[in-house]
Amino acid sequence: MMKKHLNMTIATVLLLQVGTAGLALAEDAKPLAGQHLSVLLPPWGTLPKEMTDGFTAKTGIILDTQTLGWDDIHTKIVTSTVANTAPGDATEVDWSWVGQFGASKWYQPLDGLVTADAVADAPTAKIFTYDGKLLAVPYNNDFRVLIYNKTQLEKAGIKTPPKTPDELLKAAKAIKEAKIATYPIGLPLSATEGTSTTWYLLTKAFGGDLFDKDFKPMFVDPQSGGYKALSFEIQALKDGLIDPAMTGLKDVEVQELFKSGKISFDVAGWAGNLAVYADASKSQVANDVAAALMPSTTGSTRTIGLPEAIGIPAASANSKAAAAFINWMLEPETEIGSFNALGNLPPRLSVLKQLNAKGGLKDGDVLLAQAAAVEPLFAQGTPGWYPEFSAAVASAINQAAKGQLTVDQAVQQVAEAAKTASQE
Amino acid sequence: MTATLSQKGPRRRYGEVNLGLALVIPVIVIMGGLVVFPLLSTIVDSFYRINLMRPGTPFTGLGNYADLLQDTSVRRSWVNTFYYVMMAVVLETLGGLAAALLLNKIKYGRRWLLAAVVLPWCLPPVVNAVVWLWIYNPSYGLLNGILQAAGLTSAPVVFFNDPKLALFLVTIVHVWRMMPLTAIILLAALQSIPEDLYQAAKLDGAGAFKSFRLITLPLIASGLAIALSQSTVFAFNLFDEAWILSGSSLDTRTVMIQVYMFAFQNMKFSLGMALSLMAMLASLLVSLVYVLKVYRETRFD
Amino acid sequence: MSSRSLKFISGKLGIVLAVVVLLVWSLGPIYWSVVTSLTSPTDLVSATPHFWPTHVTLEHYARLFGSTSMSQGNEVQSVWPQFSAALLNSLITSVVATVLTVVIAAFSAYAFVRLRFPGRDMIFVLVVATLAIPAYTVMIPLYRLMISLKLVDTYLGVSLIYVSAFLPLALWLMRSVYQAMPLSLEEAAWLDGASKVYTLVRIVMPLAAPGLIAAAIITFLNAWGQFLVPLVFSPTLATKPLTVLIPEFVGRNYVDYGLINAAGIVAIIPPVLVVLFLNRFLVSGLMAGATK
Repeated sequence: MMKKHLNMTIATVLLLQVGTAGLALAEDAKPLAGQHLSVLLPPWGTLPKEMTDGFTAKTGIILDTQTLGWDDIHTKIVTSTVANTAPGDATEVDWSWVGQFGASKWYQPLDGLVTADAVADAPTAKIFTYDGKLLAVPYNNDFRVLIYNKTQLEKAGIKTPPKTPDELLKAAKAIKEAKIATYPIGLPLSATEGTSTTWYLLTKAFGGDLFDKDFKPMFVDPQSGGYKALSFEIQALKDGLIDPAMTGLKDVEVQELFKSGKISFDVAGWAGNLAVYADASKSQVANDVAAALMPSTTGSTRTIGLPEAIGIPAASANSKAAAAFINWMLEPETEIGSFNALGNLPPRLSVLKQLNAKGGLKDGDVLLAQAAAVEPLFAQGTPGWYPEFSAAVASAINQAAKGQLTVDQAVQQVAEAAKTASQE
Repeated sequence: MTATLSQKGPRRRYGEVNLGLALVIPVIVIMGGLVVFPLLSTIVDSFYRINLMRPGTPFTGLGNYADLLQDTSVRRSWVNTFYYVMMAVVLETLGGLAAALLLNKIKYGRRWLLAAVVLPWCLPPVVNAVVWLWIYNPSYGLLNGILQAAGLTSAPVVFFNDPKLALFLVTIVHVWRMMPLTAIILLAALQSIPEDLYQAAKLDGAGAFKSFRLITLPLIASGLAIALSQSTVFAFNLFDEAWILSGSSLDTRTVMIQVYMFAFQNMKFSLGMALSLMAMLASLLVSLVYVLKVYRETRFD
Repeated sequence: MSSRSLKFISGKLGIVLAVVVLLVWSLGPIYWSVVTSLTSPTDLVSATPHFWPTHVTLEHYARLFGSTSMSQGNEVQSVWPQFSAALLNSLITSVVATVLTVVIAAFSAYAFVRLRFPGRDMIFVLVVATLAIPAYTVMIPLYRLMISLKLVDTYLGVSLIYVSAFLPLALWLMRSVYQAMPLSLEEAAWLDGASKVYTLVRIVMPLAAPGLIAAAIITFLNAWGQFLVPLVFSPTLATKPLTVLIPEFVGRNYVDYGLINAAGIVAIIPPVLVVLFLNRFLVSGLMAGATK
């Protein structure tokens, strides 16, 4: 009893001190010191130990990092949350899970918990809002940009990168005719997520959108962007500009092909990948790679951002410590360190600019220009049925590429899938 | 057997019941707690609508099951799964029996040959699938390399563009991994056959085929039933191979992939649970056929 | 005479041919995996496939065992601390599960064959029927249960789930082994006044050794290859096995074929040692049974 009283007194005194000395002292006192924080992230979000040691030194919070594959993280989040436990105090939140996690209220709103200025500085953060509440904060900035092999284009007599899809086709034909690459255009056509996102991107390139504001499909009409985008993919495949083997390849495997110089265009290139392509120890085209704005039929470039973020599950026992970790992830030094160690492009625009000013970004001006044009895939927020819809898209495109469906049948099938997915 | 036991006195039998129950209790506790109880909970849940994207969990009776019967993707995954089961069971049993007979015949280096046969099964499933992904790779893969070196094809073949071929190639990967299990079970059964039975048959003038049919086959029948049932069950549960080789593609999608997509991707738990229960019933029914057949045969000797 | 020796030779030749086919089937893909693990990343995607490594490199193994390694162009800590911990976790959970499963199966299968008690056949059939339950069916209720028992991320928890998954097969196998054994030996022991348990341990089990060892091999290998169960029930390196660690080498910006294959090759060494070691007992157990 005595001891408890004493503790209470000390706590009250401490509180008073904090109150009078202000916030700076509170941070110095490391109020969260000694807490254990479990963080669940994929390999590309797991920062090197030297960096996280810095976080521990600063806050006194002991980090317990769990690394899992991306698909597996989703499985784990679902299993633990259904069993009413937290999968971790802070976890990966992919942009495509926002609808599910928002509707099921599995994640705490972060408004007020995280530094508002830093969030405002990261344009992709709005992708992670559901019903006006911020569910997670991006730690990378994965938007799409056209990546091409400059040397191969020059050999075929092409000086400037294509600005429209038609120019892209022409350039690819020239490269094929000059026998520089057998299949110049690289984009995945397998039944995997990368196939769907590429089609979404091309839909925007053809000036279209997937849905109207009531989630009515806008890709069924042959004049629509989505219809044209799929016709573009299938026609390029038929013309021998895309390798028929793409029906079995995932996005990462397409990237391997680009690195080996077998393809000239990584059409749905990940901006963060540019650094990997330009690294001679990783890629055989390190001196040939360049980036260009996404081609477009409308004259102004459009692209989608598919970033990944970190959020706090509602069942988390240490949400304060988790918020401290998220704030630390948002700091400019952490974002630059994450870019240097793992190739994650900084989500904060100011940090991206800072990096470019120091000459740390390959084709930084293109990336900055493209970053300014990033749109969320769903203006009204990612719906909860997105994963089901997206799997149906990948399946339909895969079937169309194998010649089992016509473009018309494929878009009909996708529209049908969107209808059932959103109804159930 | 029954005759000898019934000769014992009642005291003895009372002890026998106690001992029997004592030996079986660990089984009942573990299986009841970790399998039967969760299963019952799942069965109950499958009669409700548990969809995390929608509020409430109303009772729907057989509604989930009715929805599953109408879903075309589910139907396709059933067709694929039955193909896998048929092919896998036939290939694993024939291959496993051949391997077991060979291992049983060999005197020198059996250890090493058995270790080699078992290797595919030791490879973690993920590595297994990655190895085969690499073999089937249209651009750099071994299979295309061999086909072209042998002059069978002139240009690289994209194997997974042909739905029938894709199904078959996924089956091969599964068979490659699971055949060792059949081989070990049958080898253990073969080794329990006394050598003198064959000697006697030889003296009676029976040829190799006749003694196989009259001695080997009946005596390994129960081992065969075990092997058949486990290959059936594992083939019904096929997931990793198809998922890693061609994702959610409808050409190769299995019932278990469909379950995973329902429950863990789309958060329609009760649909996933209902489908997994249907898969369980189907594999039970198929296995029951072998087991009953074996029971009928073993009861007469 | 000559036709008999011809038959003998052609029989031998047939066996040799069959052994070669079996070896190529089993080892071919493994060989390819070894070649991949010895090829440098750039060579992997450059030329047409060559059937043996042209420039042998140990860089992938160095990343597994070395003190530092390269990742995405940066020098990073080697994966050895994680890899060795996961290797140990795989060994511990598989061994614990195997010992528990075989011991329980050895005793209870005997009860199912030789002892009479109420509900005997029904219990056996029910237990074996659980073989057909897919892991996804029981995943979520089982997870709730393991959390309330505080067994998530413990060796005991994971091992117990393995036991519940592999016990039916081991039990069934042992039951068929006991059934095939002649009752006369046991009856002789009982008449000498030996107890049932003593008879089982000292007379029946040695004779059933090949069956027990086959059950052990099957359980160990099944446990070794598990992915889904530890993915959910072994979230941290405290119990995470190799099968869950290795897929983490699939990075987002690159597929590390070399490292995955190298890790896979290391991962098959312990189970192969188990098979080589136990298989000796499989044969000697049979010999013992034959001479007694």
